[in-house]
Amino acid sequence: MKTLLQFLARYSIVLLFVALETVAIVLLVRNNAYQRNALLSSSNAAAASIYSVGSNIRDYFRLRQTNDILQAENTRLRDRLNRMENPTDTAGACAMNILTADRNIVFIPARVINLTTDRQRNYITLNCGRRDSVDSGMGVIGPDGVVGIVSMVSEHFATVIPVLNPGISINCKFKKNGEIGALRWDGRDYRFAELPDIARHIDVQEGDTLVTSGYSAVFPPELPVGVVEKAVLTENDAYYRIRVRLATNFRRLHYVTIIRQRHADELTTLEAARKKDER
Amino acid sequence: MKSLPIENIIRFVVVILLQVLLVNNMQFLGICNPCIYILALLALPVTLPRWAELLIGFATGLVMDIFCDSLGAHTAACTLISYIRPLLISRLVQDNDRLTGTPDGDSLGIATYARYVALLTAIHHIVLFSLLAFSWHNWWLTLLQIVFSTAVSIALILGWDLLIHR
Repeated sequence: MKTLLQFLARYSIVLLFVALETVAIVLLVRNNAYQRNALLSSSNAAAASIYSVGSNIRDYFRLRQTNDILQAENTRLRDRLNRMENPTDTAGACAMNILTADRNIVFIPARVINLTTDRQRNYITLNCGRRDSVDSGMGVIGPDGVVGIVSMVSEHFATVIPVLNPGISINCKFKKNGEIGALRWDGRDYRFAELPDIARHIDVQEGDTLVTSGYSAVFPPELPVGVVEKAVLTENDAYYRIRVRLATNFRRLHYVTIIRQRHADELTTLEAARKKDER
Repeated sequence: MKSLPIENIIRFVVVILLQVLLVNNMQFLGICNPCIYILALLALPVTLPRWAELLIGFATGLVMDIFCDSLGAHTAACTLISYIRPLLISRLVQDNDRLTGTPDGDSLGIATYARYVALLTAIHHIVLFSLLAFSWHNWWLTLLQIVFSTAVSIALILGWDLLIHR
């Protein structure tokens, strides 16, 4: 017993060091992109408030740029609204369909208070939280297209896993022929992502547009994701190597919209029940 | 007369805010993410008990992890340099009498101080960026990040020393 105490006293610093490092590594390993501790992420009220102050200051320096982006989006939306209000130039039934479908979707506006684009795993912090009925798993879009998926939510803030994080993949399809694939970021350039699972029999051209597939409760269909920048298919490849230029410019992302699908819970429960059934 | 604890606490708050609000927004080719906040750990008084230094290092890393959404990585790197620092100081400085308070360019001599900063910053960055990547995928990108960020961090920390003390 005495020798044990002597041993402990002698190596107490080393033991403390090893214990603290073990805690750090356990935190690191268990830090799954989805199930994280809300207190230990930047949606934590204290950390997010500091980011909020910083972004309040920074926002003044990019008002002009933000205005330009918002105005461009407004123009696009006004154009779509015009087409929906005057259904003579489209099929009437189709326009009705869009209107009823969209009733199930609620848009929640939010401001980006922190974001990184140059890490190998990036995160975004928003100034919107549970109080604004934001919940984890909701889709986030920017003025130009898909941004990411809400991960952690606190009372007033939320963290988002953007497309620029290999932890998520976005289910998307080619606008021209409806072929689907999963978009994944490779950790390098904030402008590009990859589409690894498109088989060789499918016709892919540079410049093809990718939109969300709508096969999940996260994003409604037909939201812009990106454009094929380069599609390589050598003699022996079974799959294309496709580089996609993302629709969203993450460096200029200041305002986003969170998509709340009214029946998302119902859909998720139904799909979970089916999976359980299959097992 | 400034009191040593208060000086250190203020330094921690200032460099962490600088890191989070300013330096983390520096974006250069995706390979340069300098960490200046470790200068608060490097400037802790040498008289500090080692257990306290380890705990301070751990806590600082945890705070940075919360801000950066990188749970564990900063914590592990900071705890490691907090462990190594006293060993390195006793190795670098033969006559310990000269060194009483904060290790800086004046008390260590600029050449020794530069070596001290460079070694600990390099160790911190190697551990940090390896853990942030946590795979061999893109290992060359991780290597570039380590090299460029370490260089810029060392420059910034030495620059801070010149700014404060000269």
